[in-house]
Amino acid sequence: MAKVRNWQLGREMDYPYDADRPRRQFTMIMDTNKCIACQSCTIACKSTWTWGKGQEFMLWNNIETKPYGFYPMGWDVNILGLLGEQEWTDDVYTGQTVFEAAPPGERVLGWTPAEEDWSHPNIGEDEPTGNAEETTHIPGGRHSMMWMYYLQRICNHCTYPACVAACPRQAIYKRPEDGIVLVDQERCRGYQECLTACPYKKTMFNLETRVSEKCIGCYPKLEEGLQTQCTTACIGRLRLTNYLSAPEDADPSKPADFLVHVRKLALPLYPQLGLEPNVYYIPPVHVPTRYLTQMFGPGVDRAIDMYLGAKDDPELLGLLMLFGATERIMDTWDVRDGIARAYDEQGEEIVGVPLREPTFVREFEFATEVAGEPATGYRHNT
Amino acid sequence: MSDKVTRKDVLVYGGVTAGAVVAAGAGVAGIATAVERRKEAPVVTGAPIVARRHAGEIPLRDPGAAPWRDAERVLVPLVAQQLVPPYLDRTGVVELRARAAYNANQVALLVEWEDDEVDDLDGIRRYHDAVAVQLPARLGASPPAITMGAPGNPVHILQWRATWQRDLDSDGKTGVDQIYPEVVHDVMPDDVLPRQTAELYWVGRKAGNPLSQNFRTTPIEEVVAEGFGSVTHLRGQTASGHGVHEDGRWRVALSFPADRAGVGDPIAPGTSWPIAFAVWLGSQENRGGRKHYADWQTLIVEEE
Repeated sequence: MAKVRNWQLGREMDYPYDADRPRRQFTMIMDTNKCIACQSCTIACKSTWTWGKGQEFMLWNNIETKPYGFYPMGWDVNILGLLGEQEWTDDVYTGQTVFEAAPPGERVLGWTPAEEDWSHPNIGEDEPTGNAEETTHIPGGRHSMMWMYYLQRICNHCTYPACVAACPRQAIYKRPEDGIVLVDQERCRGYQECLTACPYKKTMFNLETRVSEKCIGCYPKLEEGLQTQCTTACIGRLRLTNYLSAPEDADPSKPADFLVHVRKLALPLYPQLGLEPNVYYIPPVHVPTRYLTQMFGPGVDRAIDMYLGAKDDPELLGLLMLFGATERIMDTWDVRDGIARAYDEQGEEIVGVPLREPTFVREFEFATEVAGEPATGYRHNT
Repeated sequence: MSDKVTRKDVLVYGGVTAGAVVAAGAGVAGIATAVERRKEAPVVTGAPIVARRHAGEIPLRDPGAAPWRDAERVLVPLVAQQLVPPYLDRTGVVELRARAAYNANQVALLVEWEDDEVDDLDGIRRYHDAVAVQLPARLGASPPAITMGAPGNPVHILQWRATWQRDLDSDGKTGVDQIYPEVVHDVMPDDVLPRQTAELYWVGRKAGNPLSQNFRTTPIEEVVAEGFGSVTHLRGQTASGHGVHEDGRWRVALSFPADRAGVGDPIAPGTSWPIAFAVWLGSQENRGGRKHYADWQTLIVEEE
């Protein structure tokens, strides 16, 4: 057992292997506030990677409604239940991780989904909490009494993956150049230990080839400087594929570093599990923060306040405007003269987006002629 | 270790090298006789497994024929693997019975164990029945670690799998259509793409993973290992065999060339070898290290 530093927990923790951060970490930022669950991302991923025989049930990307949706069933409530009530003290997690809570004879605390748990990816979709008869009014405060929101999930390409820890033959590895976690298709022997160990349940067993597969971070696209399929397909322009630095190397001119390390607007998913997941979420502003704190850790309130103030924060607003503006991965960005611009690694401009779209208001009344006689015309600005 | 090994010498050898708990259980002193319904040869506990010379081909599908008919069935106790995580936490089978034989070219084993259910398809949380035989690569004084050898001290393992048996018996029909007979497919890659492109969607198969192929010539995989987690599929696969499920038990024959070219020292007449076994019950989610295993027993290859 090695001791590794998990910055999301604010402390060191146990992990079977020594820490070895990648040169830069593939990451995705998700703005949950923009998602409409159109599933374009899911279709993009499925039609690219998992439409083969043996992959029928696989959704490397999925969108589930919270609080009542899951894919596979109960993935998060089950591991939270196994772990039991745990605590944060300010910004330090003082509870146990899934590695520290591993029972004897296991490397990771985990559970194995049943076959049928994968069969209902749309369960709980659009189902809000609260009772319609009692709560259809919109209260004065920030949170509605009835709420639900959409959670976008891919493999988190964790810094301390449970799948890597659990594999008895080291058939899963993390790439040193970009931190993408991959199952070695030649080395895997189909033990499905990774399926039990991954708390996010993003490794999946191929029924024809009898080995396990997972989200590959669209690495062939990344290697060409392009964002992932799910990022590019997103109609809501809510995703950003980018590279994250270690916190001590954070560079505010880089989008992911800015959102995650500098502004702390984008938060990790269930950081308390201890894997240091590398997909970061801008929390939904209308959901009670007590629920959100369990999901995204402390810092939710601050993140929501910052997001609601974005209209007066041109630096942040400009970066958010650049989501979905280009298929290319941006290295840096800036906001000048009301335009947000993204740049590649050579400093060449990729795309520019205005912070305000130009608008033109037409006069309601105008002079015109009808049958040769002067008349007044009226326009509606629709 | 001399070339000529008598039975008495080997009993002592077996007593010295077997693991403490298992040796105590096996008890050289106790010989259990169990007379089976079908009046097969009585099962002997704690004795070495003796391979006698057989003239002619050793049948892999007929346990009632010579040499199996006359070979002594040795009872080998099994325990749940709890040496290295992931552990097997529930014992489902406590023993297997082993017989051995050899001829001019091959060494063969016939192993049997109780398992009510046939598990011969892999799926989501579905695992297969299997048995493995483990021999050191080198003839030597002390056997390698029971944990599948150690660096510098390799073991040679033959593993029979029910899934591979079904692959062989059904001509490769062991996938989605068999797991879910009512399944309906919309469009599959090989419906619309050229074969070479469609094959890319079976990544494991295309990558050459032996587990991912479903057309086979043998239900047995031959590997070497130097410790848990290091199993390496041998490029030249030489083992053959056959497994059958009958009356609530599996009976599996495994056969391999005695010369073990490229793998290890030959299994020659007049030699004695540590030999170990492992059994997986698919119905109890056994797989990988979650297995039942036997500590080192003794295989005697009798003089010709």
